Amino acid sequence: MLMPKHGFSWFAFSAGALLLSGILLALMQLIPVSARRYVIRFLTFLAGLYYVLEFFLPVHSMPTKNDPHAVGNFLTPFLLPIGNYSPVIIAFTIGLGVVNLFQVHSRRLIRRDSETLFSVAFFVSFFAMLIIGLLDKAHPNSINKNLYHLLFDGFLQSLDATVFSIIAFYIVSAAYRAFRVKSIEATLLLVTAMIVMLGQIPVGTFLTHTLPEPFHVEVIRGWILRQANSAALRAIAFGLSIGGLAISLRIWLGLERGSYFEES
Amino acid sequence: MMRILRMMQTIDARYLYALLMLSVALPFFIPFQLPVVVTPETEALYDAVENLPANSFVLVGIDWNAGSRGENRPQTTVILRHLMARHLRFALLDFSDPQGATLGEEIAHELQGQYGYQEGRDWVNFGYQVDMVNWLKSFVLNVPGQVQTDSSGKPVASLPVMQGIRTARNIPLVIDITPTGSYQTYIQFMAGPYRNSMKMGVALTAVMAPDAYNYLDSHQIVGLLAGLTGAAEYQSRFAQEYDKGLLLRSRVTRYSNSSSSAHILIICLILMGNIAMILERRQRARLHAKG
Repeated sequence: MLMPKHGFSWFAFSAGALLLSGILLALMQLIPVSARRYVIRFLTFLAGLYYVLEFFLPVHSMPTKNDPHAVGNFLTPFLLPIGNYSPVIIAFTIGLGVVNLFQVHSRRLIRRDSETLFSVAFFVSFFAMLIIGLLDKAHPNSINKNLYHLLFDGFLQSLDATVFSIIAFYIVSAAYRAFRVKSIEATLLLVTAMIVMLGQIPVGTFLTHTLPEPFHVEVIRGWILRQANSAALRAIAFGLSIGGLAISLRIWLGLERGSYFEES
Repeated sequence: MMRILRMMQTIDARYLYALLMLSVALPFFIPFQLPVVVTPETEALYDAVENLPANSFVLVGIDWNAGSRGENRPQTTVILRHLMARHLRFALLDFSDPQGATLGEEIAHELQGQYGYQEGRDWVNFGYQVDMVNWLKSFVLNVPGQVQTDSSGKPVASLPVMQGIRTARNIPLVIDITPTGSYQTYIQFMAGPYRNSMKMGVALTAVMAPDAYNYLDSHQIVGLLAGLTGAAEYQSRFAQEYDKGLLLRSRVTRYSNSSSSAHILIICLILMGNIAMILERRQRARLHAKG
């Protein structure tokens, strides 16, 4: 059951899995919220437990067809099939997101307020991309390919790049207004930022190339990034990792408030 | 005098935007060549590629989208160019955004003619994949089992490019090109556990590069390209060895000049604002002293 399926058995298993998921979802709706919470907690714990045990249990030599030097334990061979579950779960969450977007924008369309136009744009772009994308996959002829190219490269990529590049304008304006030598800390920040900025571009290198090497702007920039910056970032990374570990443990063990339909 | 000093500190944002637009656009019309100093981290990544035996297999993470195209596209171009010039096999793999797989493939298609490369024989696109952590955990153990088909639906196991690639042990180098922290997941689940047989390099946007210096210090990554400058440095190093005329033809040089002039504008504006502020303070103090 955990191995990839092909041909008819793929269709049979997919249909069976969808049917089973539907039945389970319906059953979950029937049971009280408090009981539902325990079911979800148990399943979350079980899913996490597999990876914890697979990682922490002692490993021994476990040669495979692909790798004669492979090591692992009795859980290792299931990594691939169990890993295949997550794209399926992620696909369902994308579906939930789409349903949610449809609900929100449908309500706006019905209300016909000042933001209705945005909702129209959402539906038009959603269906245009969906239909053309499916047509391109089903019948990859030149018309469908060109249409897909127009939407994906012509619209999506260009819009994405445009929106992102607008940040540059704000950065210029903000840097000009904010970087002022009003205190010692601000001066330190300004000088450091200037050195790193100058060291980042060939002009900075050109301006200081006649000085002795330790005074080359790219050398000073390297020192700032590798020494001062690394120490600070390492401390932040340690803090974040420990926090992340604590949160992961709380979610895995069902201790996190606000999860599983609880009031936060 | 005071009015001029005040004005220098409070230039209308619209003028700043216009200046930025000019400083970014002009280098594309007025070509010039600035000296490029190759930093040790760029040199190290270059050497990692250069020292691979011919026909080695390199995994290239294309974890970027059109938003960071300005920096990540030139990085991808120079890295793929080097891989092709060295006759190395490579696979493109994308986790961060569905656009990445398409963008990387476009660049590979653009370059393959120049180096006699062919998709399927010399390179392959594994496409966009979800759930990076679990995907990589399975991938390192069984490459053909995890990547069953390439982005166009062809069975990967039968492609000549995949010959001899069974597990992560057969991949001597991974390079992740990204504006995100995706390279950390590669380190955690791939380059870390297989450090005896695998090296890892990263190409990041300039804003993300400071985060990666920790991994460089701990030798978890061998080299790093920082932003557009990193791409220009790598290209300059590549041009020295393989194609001296590349610097004149390449768009990377123009991109780098454009970025340089925008940086200079920002530096000039900051300096101008600060000088004006200091002068105004002195002027005020003098007027105050006079009563």
